[in-house]
Amino acid sequence: MDEDNKITDETPKKQVIETEVPLGPVHSAAIEPYRVRLFVEDEIVKDAEITVGVNHRGIERIMEGLPVEKANSLTEKICGICSNIHIWNSVLVAEKALEIDVPERAQYIRIIMAELERLHSHLLYLAHGNEVLGHETFSMRLFYIRETVMELLRMVGGNRVQYGVPVIGGIRPRAELDQMKIQKIEDGINFLEEKLSNFAERFISDPMIMSRITGVGVIKKEDALRLAVSGPTLRATGVAVDLRRDMKEYDPFDFDVITQDDGDIKSNLLMRVLENFESIKIIRQAINHLPEGSITNRSWEMQDTPITKNYVEAPRGKLYHSYALNDGRVRHCIIRTPSITNIGAMEYACIGCHITDAQLAVVQCDPCFTCTDRAIQIIQL
Amino acid sequence: MTVVDSLIALIAVIGTLIVAFVVSVWLPGIERKFVQARIQQRIGPPISSPGLMAPIKFFFKQIINPNSPMPGLYNSLPIIGIIISILLLIIVMPQLYFLVAFASVVALVGLLKVEEILYMFMGSLSKSVLSIRMPFPDLVKGAKHRDVPRSFVEELSSMRAFRLIAFGSFPIYIAIFVPVAMAGSIFLNDIVAYQQLHGPVLFTLGGILGAIVFFVGFMILLNEYPFAILKTKADVIEGPLLEYASKYRAYVYISRGLLIFVLSSIFATLFLGLPPTILSWTILINIVVTLAFTIIMAIVSAFSPIFTYKQFYPVVAGVSILGVLAIIASFL
Repeated sequence: MDEDNKITDETPKKQVIETEVPLGPVHSAAIEPYRVRLFVEDEIVKDAEITVGVNHRGIERIMEGLPVEKANSLTEKICGICSNIHIWNSVLVAEKALEIDVPERAQYIRIIMAELERLHSHLLYLAHGNEVLGHETFSMRLFYIRETVMELLRMVGGNRVQYGVPVIGGIRPRAELDQMKIQKIEDGINFLEEKLSNFAERFISDPMIMSRITGVGVIKKEDALRLAVSGPTLRATGVAVDLRRDMKEYDPFDFDVITQDDGDIKSNLLMRVLENFESIKIIRQAINHLPEGSITNRSWEMQDTPITKNYVEAPRGKLYHSYALNDGRVRHCIIRTPSITNIGAMEYACIGCHITDAQLAVVQCDPCFTCTDRAIQIIQL
Repeated sequence: MTVVDSLIALIAVIGTLIVAFVVSVWLPGIERKFVQARIQQRIGPPISSPGLMAPIKFFFKQIINPNSPMPGLYNSLPIIGIIISILLLIIVMPQLYFLVAFASVVALVGLLKVEEILYMFMGSLSKSVLSIRMPFPDLVKGAKHRDVPRSFVEELSSMRAFRLIAFGSFPIYIAIFVPVAMAGSIFLNDIVAYQQLHGPVLFTLGGILGAIVFFVGFMILLNEYPFAILKTKADVIEGPLLEYASKYRAYVYISRGLLIFVLSSIFATLFLGLPPTILSWTILINIVVTLAFTIIMAIVSAFSPIFTYKQFYPVVAGVSILGVLAIIASFL
C-alpha cells in the first residue's frame, strides 16, 4: 500500500484482500441482473467490482435506419421504469433538430407525465430500498401507494409501462386531458401527498431503520463530482444540480432543487421522498394552469439534420440522446443513461460497508442496469 | 413404574407429539396470513399454504441432488433438526421426568446447542450456483484482485452461525436459568413442582424480565427478522437452507414449525409450570403460549429491518444484561 493507504500494483494482493464474495447476476436482492464482486475482510467490504452486460438488447443498433417515429417508440423499450423520459428525450432531439415548436398544452401534459413517472420511479426505489433493508412492511406499503401513480399513468397513457405519450410536435390524442381526468389526477396526488407524509414521518422516526442507514454507504461530495455521479444521487451529496432548471419546458413551474448533505443511504432515501413532494407540486401547478389549445403541431417538414443531442433530467439523473436524421431515418444514434455514470459511485459506496449493507449501498444509487446494458458492446472472441 | 404407567406415558408422548405436529403446521400460516399480511395491507397466502400445503407439495417434488460435497449428510440435517425438536419436547413432558438427568435444563441447553450447530454444518456443506459456481466471466483481463480466495455465500452464513453460537444464543440460555435460580434446581420436575407451590415464575419481577429475554432468544434461535443474519436476503439469501429441495425442504419447513411449538412449550414449562401433556387440559395453555409467541414474533418481524452486527451486538448485549438482572432478581 502507498502512503494514502490505497492499493497499488506492487501491493501483494493476498495481504490486502482476505476473501472475495461474488454475488449475482441472479440474486434475491437485485431486481436486475448484475454481478457484484465484494472483496471482504471479516465481512467488511474493502473493495467492490460491478459488472453488467447480461441484458444487452442492442436497441441503438436496431434504431439505426428506422423512420424517426418508429425509432422514438423503440426508445420506450429501453427501460420499464422510466420509459416516458426516454421517448420524450428522443422526441426532443427531433424537435430540436427540425426546429419544431410544441404547443403549450402539450408541453404541460408532457410535464405531468414526466413527473408522474418520477413519482413512480422514486416510489419503486423507496420500496426496493426498504425490501433490501429487510423492512417488508414499508416496502409493501410503498408499493401500495405507488399503485395510485400507476393507475394515473395508465389513465393518461393507456398503459402501465409504455405510455407512448410524446410524439414529434406534441402528444398523442389519447393523452389529452379532459376535466374528469384532471380531477382524477388531482385526487390521486392529494392521496399520494397524505400517504407519503405519513410514510416519511414514520420512516424518519424509526430508530432501527435510522441505525441501519445513517452514515452507511457514504459518497462524499468531492468523490461524487470526481466519479461523475448524476441525478438525485449527486444531489444527496449536497450538489444542487438539476437539469430541470435548465429545461425551458420547466420554466413556468416553481419547484425547489432538493439536496441533502451527508451522501449516505439515509440522504439518498430522504432525497427521493422529498423530491416526490416537489413532483406533486409541479403536477398540481400543471393541472391548475393547463393552457387551452391544440396538443399537436403538424406544420413541420422532415429534412436531413446533423447529429443533434439533448439532455433531460430523468428520475435517476442525466439522460443523453443524440442522433442525426437522413431521409427521415435515424443515423448515429447514441443513448447514455444515468446508471452508467453512477456505477463508479456504486462500487465506491460499498467500500467500508458491512456485506449486508453492500447491496443497499448499490441500491441507494438507484441503478437501472437494464437501461445501462443497452449501451454495452459485446465482442465475440 | 408398572406396565400400565408405561403405556399411559407412551400414549401421552405420542399424543402430545401429534398435537405438536398438528399445531405447528398452522403456525407459519398464522404468522404470514393473519399478522404480517394484515399489517402489510395485502391479501397474503392461504392460512394452510406455508406450513401445511407447501411441505405436502415439496414431498411430491422430484428429488434433486444438492450442490454439496456431502449431499447425504446435508440432506439429513433437517431430519436431525426434527429429531432434536422431538427430543426437546419429550424432555419437558412430565411423563419422562423419571429420567432425572435427561429431564434437566442442562439437557435442554445441550440439545439447543446441537440445533444451532446444525446451521453451521448446513452452511459448510452447501455450495449453490448463486456465487462462485455462477458461470459468469468475471475473472477476465482487467478484473480487480484476481488471485483472492473466493467464498460461497453459504460459507458466510456458516461463519455467522458460529458467531450466533458464540454470542447470539446468550439471551435464551440466560433466560432458561431464571427459573433454575428461583427453584434452586436444574431438574425440570423440581422447577414445575416449585411453581405449583409458589405460583408461576412469570408473575415475578425476575420472571417478567426473564420472559422478555427468553422471547428475544427465541427469535434469535429461529433466525427471525430482525435477527435473521443467517438468511439475509441482501447477501446470503437463504443461507444454509439454500440448496434444500423436494422433501428435504419440506423437512426444513416442518422443523421450523415444530421448533416454534417446542420452544413455546419450554417457556410454558419453565415460566408457567405447565409442561405439555395430552393428559391434562393445560396443553391448551401450551397452545395459547405458542400462538402468542407466533403472533408477537410476526409483529416484531413485520416492523423491523434486518440487523447487521452493528445493531445485533448491542441488542444481544443489552438483552443479556437484562437476563443477568432477571437472575439477580430471582435470588432476591
